[in-house]
Amino acid sequence: MKLYRAGVIAGLIAGVVALAACSSTKNSGSSSTTPAGGASTTGSSSSSTVDCATGTLNAEGSTAQTNAMTQWINDYQKKCGGATINYNPTGSGAGVKNFNAGQVDFGGSDSALDPTKGEVAAAQKRCGAPAYDLPMVVGPIGVAFKVNGVDTLTMTPDVIAKIFAGKISTWNDPAIKALNSSANLPATKITVFFRSDSSGTTQNFEKYLKATAPTVFTATPDKDSSKSGWVGQGKAKSQGVAQAISTTEGSIGYVEYSFAVQDNLSVAAVDNGGGPVKLSKDTASAALSSAKVTGTGGDLTLKLDYATKAAGAYPIILVTYEIACSKYTDAAKGKLVKSFLSYTATGGQAALPGLGYAPLPSDLQSKVTQSIAGIS
Amino acid sequence: MTTAVVERGPGASLASPGRGRRKIKNGVATTVITLCFLVALVPLVWLLWTVISRGWHVIVKSSWWTGTERGIGYRDPGGGAYHAIIGTLEQVALCTVISVPIGLLVGVYLVEYGRGALSRVTSFMVDILTGIPSIVAALFIYAVFITTLHGQRAAWLVSLALVMLMLPVIVRTTEEMLKLVPNELREASYALGVRKWKTILRVVMPTAFSGLITGIVLGIARVAGETAPLLILVGYASGLNTNLFSGFQGSLPGMINDQFTNLGSGNKAYGLDANGNRVLIHNYAPDRLWGTALTLVIIVMALNLIARLVGRFNKVAN
Repeated sequence: MKLYRAGVIAGLIAGVVALAACSSTKNSGSSSTTPAGGASTTGSSSSSTVDCATGTLNAEGSTAQTNAMTQWINDYQKKCGGATINYNPTGSGAGVKNFNAGQVDFGGSDSALDPTKGEVAAAQKRCGAPAYDLPMVVGPIGVAFKVNGVDTLTMTPDVIAKIFAGKISTWNDPAIKALNSSANLPATKITVFFRSDSSGTTQNFEKYLKATAPTVFTATPDKDSSKSGWVGQGKAKSQGVAQAISTTEGSIGYVEYSFAVQDNLSVAAVDNGGGPVKLSKDTASAALSSAKVTGTGGDLTLKLDYATKAAGAYPIILVTYEIACSKYTDAAKGKLVKSFLSYTATGGQAALPGLGYAPLPSDLQSKVTQSIAGIS
Repeated sequence: MTTAVVERGPGASLASPGRGRRKIKNGVATTVITLCFLVALVPLVWLLWTVISRGWHVIVKSSWWTGTERGIGYRDPGGGAYHAIIGTLEQVALCTVISVPIGLLVGVYLVEYGRGALSRVTSFMVDILTGIPSIVAALFIYAVFITTLHGQRAAWLVSLALVMLMLPVIVRTTEEMLKLVPNELREASYALGVRKWKTILRVVMPTAFSGLITGIVLGIARVAGETAPLLILVGYASGLNTNLFSGFQGSLPGMINDQFTNLGSGNKAYGLDANGNRVLIHNYAPDRLWGTALTLVIIVMALNLIARLVGRFNKVAN
């Protein structure tokens, strides 16, 4: 009997100790954070007037523009009480697919509709009128990394492509050292993260590598990363890649800049041949100035110059588009799309720099506003 | 001590060396089993502790139960889960309304009427349905209603996918509960000249009532937290949408998923100031994530309690 009791008590004590150990570590983890910066979220321009419309819009697509979209929707809904806008960040591929299938009212995509895949024709069929690709946000893609003791790095397209292809596999590789003589690079193995879902960020990053390091990156740029020949792990969505980098020592990956900022990831400066360029809204905007509009009519598909050697131009950028019908069968819907997109293209642009995006250059902005005016 | 001796009976005192060994064996076995029990308890207690300790301070605010996420980004405090609670309740209610009659009738058929091949096939099909993953059920509904019939994504499709998950649970428990009803009751009823359908309705079902309710609640608990159909068949809306048949709709699992996308590395997130420098900001998404999780647990638990009360009340009435 005594032994029996002793056993039970011993068991109970062991259990309680184990539980206490678990709970105390959890507790200290969750209670240690207090806001320090207190940056306001709604400081974006409230001066501009908005031509409000009412109703509900459902949209989905690019994760790269999530943070901008969330801010815009919040600001727009504050100004226009009768409007509800939902944006689900499911990836550019899903955005285009569901827009063309008529599941959403407008789509967000980091790449314009691709005529070679029948996307333009499908969109035309869905709308009964041409669909517009409207550039709305300039999102620099950061080559984010986490290496203990290293905050700044410079990389060339060749080195980036080789790291992703597995041809450079440790951080103290001579090729990286040659560019960063002052950095104290460890012998840690490089862990590569890329997007596993259909992503416009992937496509733009691949287009950049294709334009600048064609001998190393030989695949055809695509939203799907499965044929890229990359080593490492795929992660779903921008948030997934950013979180993986922030929790893995020796990791590297490409992620839209606002997500790198959100998780406080270090971002490499890129040297396209004109000297290292750090990522900022100004350097990203500078790279966009050499882009050309190739879309016709109201469509504003852009062709970016990834290989630019211009000083102070950060070359790995993506332009994320809103894909909308030029004419909606439901006139009320058309009015709301027009009203919301007008806001994002004008007053909403001021909110972008605080989120890690760059605003549209003014000449492009006026073209976008003009196209939106034609939506009905 | 004395009772132990009595239990062993006469002759036990002769084997005094074996007695000590048995005591040790008993002690070891007791300790091991108790430890195993505690180990099994650890994940449960840990989970509840994590969810409650991180979520309670969010849900004690009344605005949590009356407000929505409309206009609330990850940097904004406040916000509520009203839209998600309504969405989840509506979806589960529609699913229950469809599943319960079908499930009960199939269960009654299998126990009271089913003979031969049809019964065996039905039983086999229910077994297969039990093993279907929620994502497959969701894809099936997507293929039928959206790919083939060109429908719009909407919350009622989620309910349909959930029916496929809820139905086998209800059929199985109904079957088990009806089997437990003693045959003597049925025979007594037949002996009094009561017809079979009336016997089932007035004798068998009321006897098994609390068990049937338990089955339904198990079914509800099974589907209330399902996420796969929500990701595929409807978009997440951060504002209130009470219409099951059109537009995006909020739901508790959907809200957890939405907050998770902004989880970052915890409450500490970064933003940029006007000069492009990084500044620390507070990320409220993790708090809301745990608050939503706790809300979901509470709602499932409340449904459970209500069902138990209903079951008990009925027993007293009989």
